[in-house]
Amino acid sequence: MNRQSFVASTSSVEINGWRMNYFDKGPRDASPVLLLHGNPSWGFIWRDCIPPLLSAGLRVIVPDQIGFGLSEHPHSAAAHSLENHAANLVALIDRLELKNIFFVCQDWGGPTGLGALLARDKCSSAIAVMSTWAWRNPSAKFHNQILPWRTMHAPLIGPYILGRKKAFPGRGMYLSVVDRKKFLTETMQYYEDVLPDTDDRRLTWQWPRSIPINETTDIAGNFFQWLEEGVKGLKLPSLIIWGKEDKVFEPEVFAKKWLEIWPHADGIHFVTGDHFLQEDAGNEIGVILAEFATQHGLTEGRLK
Amino acid sequence: MTVEILEQIPEGLRRVPVLIEPSVGHYPEFRNFLKKVFDLEHNNFKAPCVLQVNQYFYEFIFIGRSGEEFPAALEINALPPGLEPLDAEQTDRDLWEILEWLVAGVGSPWSLEALRETGNIYRVNPLKN
Repeated sequence: MNRQSFVASTSSVEINGWRMNYFDKGPRDASPVLLLHGNPSWGFIWRDCIPPLLSAGLRVIVPDQIGFGLSEHPHSAAAHSLENHAANLVALIDRLELKNIFFVCQDWGGPTGLGALLARDKCSSAIAVMSTWAWRNPSAKFHNQILPWRTMHAPLIGPYILGRKKAFPGRGMYLSVVDRKKFLTETMQYYEDVLPDTDDRRLTWQWPRSIPINETTDIAGNFFQWLEEGVKGLKLPSLIIWGKEDKVFEPEVFAKKWLEIWPHADGIHFVTGDHFLQEDAGNEIGVILAEFATQHGLTEGRLK
Repeated sequence: MTVEILEQIPEGLRRVPVLIEPSVGHYPEFRNFLKKVFDLEHNNFKAPCVLQVNQYFYEFIFIGRSGEEFPAALEINALPPGLEPLDAEQTDRDLWEILEWLVAGVGSPWSLEALRETGNIYRVNPLKN
């Protein structure tokens, strides 16, 4: 699916006072798959995962998180708390009256999507996670390092490097895919084009500041604690997919931790991919998701 | 490094916002350094602080937010003369020098080497590129 056909199937809705853009395709009475992206991508990152899901008869919904993609880009710092982003997904679920949802979460799609799932657990049918987390500890080695991660998000440095000088999405994503040449020549511009101005890129440096790495200064520590307790109690069919080359959320720590939390989970399915694994293995991920949905009866019958 | 703190704003300059930081205390040591160097402990609402970087001027506006330690936020304005256009590349270089001054002042575990290497990795170090 190219950018044009992806965007052609999007529309927007107002949620919590913001304009949210979302892709929506497939039978309205089919089980919905909610594909949730992270920082600094947008729904477009899921484009190659979508065809196998539609072929399996599912409805596919892909929001651009507020602050990214074709959704509104609020400039207010307060708009971008983790609670607000999770609440935006809750509002979307309510607005579209979604039920029997298969949540698929990558990167910040995890903390936000799983937060929304916990708030609407009766509307949920299954979960898939990839290159994401939902707890305070362990935190990623990558996020604890002064060079480059903590320096990159330090006061004034973050707004300069990521906002003014647009290190994300371009260079930052380029460094976190496997086939860099393909990304550079075919895709990178579509991530840069939707965040053209300094103020549009606010969430690229503000969101990472919610990652818990220091108990005395964490701004979202309580949220992650609540999240971890909540996900531990989930008994839904679960699927773990991970990029073999993931340098941000090391598979031997993070994918393994998901398996500890959900021993019943299907996986770990390893695919070729770094943190933005959909760029390298989009179709393969789509096939894994579709087969999982079929195995768990999500493609059978229609919702009432 | 050629960053110098001035006592007064030169006349005939206009303000152009060039960098906004809504959370100076994200790492508290950064806020502590700014409080100390600009003497913000006892006089929050004094005149804006001005830095001269090379031959250009930059104004620091410290912002308070209810319920948070002062300063909560910081806006940096470039101060070009009259109606003259802002030189964006010069501003990038000057801001980078301000960042180097900041990191050197805050000190360990933060370091100029890490800042420069981060800039190099992401190809945003204007003094190198």
